[in-house]
Amino acid sequence: MRLLLAMAACLACCTQAVAGATLDRVRRSGVLNDVVFENYPPFGFINGDNQLAGFDVDVAQAVAARLGVKLKLSTPGWETIISGRWQGRWDLCICSLSPTAERAKVLDFPVHYYSSPAVLTVHKDEQRIRSIADISGKRLGVGSGSSYENYGNKSLVIPGGRPISYPFHDVTVIPGDETIHFRNLALGPGVRLDAIVSDLATARANIKSTHALKIVGDVLYSEPNVVATEKGDPEWDATVARTINELRADGTLARISRRWFDSDITLDER
Amino acid sequence: MSVEPVPAGTASRLGKRFRLQVALTWLVLFALLAAGCFGLHLDLGFVAQKLPYLLGIRLAPDGFIQGAALTIFVTACSMVCALAVALVTAMGRMSRNPVAFAIATFYASLFRGTPLLVQVLIIYLALPQVGIVLGALSSGLIALSLNYGAYLAETIRSGMMAVPAGQREAALALGLPRWVVTWKVSAPQALRLIIPPAGALFVSMLKDSSLVSLMGLWELNFLAQSFARSTYHYMEMLIAAALIYWALSILFELVQFRLERRFGKGVEPAARH
Repeated sequence: MRLLLAMAACLACCTQAVAGATLDRVRRSGVLNDVVFENYPPFGFINGDNQLAGFDVDVAQAVAARLGVKLKLSTPGWETIISGRWQGRWDLCICSLSPTAERAKVLDFPVHYYSSPAVLTVHKDEQRIRSIADISGKRLGVGSGSSYENYGNKSLVIPGGRPISYPFHDVTVIPGDETIHFRNLALGPGVRLDAIVSDLATARANIKSTHALKIVGDVLYSEPNVVATEKGDPEWDATVARTINELRADGTLARISRRWFDSDITLDER
Repeated sequence: MSVEPVPAGTASRLGKRFRLQVALTWLVLFALLAAGCFGLHLDLGFVAQKLPYLLGIRLAPDGFIQGAALTIFVTACSMVCALAVALVTAMGRMSRNPVAFAIATFYASLFRGTPLLVQVLIIYLALPQVGIVLGALSSGLIALSLNYGAYLAETIRSGMMAVPAGQREAALALGLPRWVVTWKVSAPQALRLIIPPAGALFVSMLKDSSLVSLMGLWELNFLAQSFARSTYHYMEMLIAAALIYWALSILFELVQFRLERRFGKGVEPAARH
């Protein structure tokens, strides 16, 4: 019984980073452990030289340089990141996460670093769907666990964001791999999917590679993308927020953005 | 093309013809498969460009091995650990000690009855919450070893049980020491029966090792998927990875074949093909 109690107590202590622990670790080791997703071009991918590259990687490099530490990148799976409780394995995740109410329960989001517009993509021969209002009764592909899945299910709440309208009903939301969804949509209108909701940059990259898709309607909503940290180290969160805001103020973020997108996606629009 | 039971005596001549026909059939099937792949209009230049990374001839950016080399490393380490775990478990399974028997059956039941994916994630994500923070590689090795150890234990047990009790009794009656009886009489006969199903398990482990990519290890499947997504050359990368896995499992099968022949010496010609 005593052993059980001790284990329970240990469990309770271990579920949160002790205040200041992450900041201490980064200072002591001189290494910033950052997570990127290697399967999310152009934000994070493996380039022709077998190196991690992309918008998120460049931002992480700028953050590490500003902090005066070495950058170490890891590429664990999506499911190992968004469940939180990193136990000190990683210091932060500059990995295009969008804040949702559920994610805020397991991760801290100290700072917003870019905005991505969500758009509706259909096959280029699609006649029936001209805007989001036309997807009622249709099959909608979304990345599984993404905020677009919440949008399709009308349950997206962006903390601190404007309320979102859902002008559709009876949509069959199909969560899955975004890349495979785009390939399925390229097979033809309604063959396997009718439409996809995704981020604008992803949609553009897929339109370019398949030559069979198009974006319809207006921007559905603009989604803030944030830096994520493990819960429970307010000093580290403040350091991360200050660093990103300095990089925005001195034009570093805008420069990185133009390198990848020909436009500045890093303005704080909220 | 009929494959009839081979009468003893004419075995070697017919064996040659049989083997030739097998080789020809393989060639035809392989040509059909290759033709099917070419029908997909793959960009072979792209595959050639990514091949050194997929095979693991080059190191990953962090200086660690990657691609097929990492896949082989993970599989080989897990094989050794799984074998050790399986031997202990099989002994527990055949033990008269109720606690040893209970532990062995509980472990085998738990790890055979839950999905490997879940085991990988529990070891990687749940253990840290009780204070044990394992690296990605060690988590993967532990999960694969424990999972396959449970299956392998049953394979080993079935092999040991299949050796007639009379063999052991006869050896003991000749006054041989117990360890000689186990090592020289029981084990070689059991191994002959254990090797084919164990070989199949290891081939399956080779492919299941791709699950460690979940934790960010740059093994063959991880690289193939990442390159595929970054460049939109999906089919090229998937087929290249599949062929590399296949080539590796053929190597495994060859090793298994050699071992089978070695331990099947006593019972020719039944184990010839």
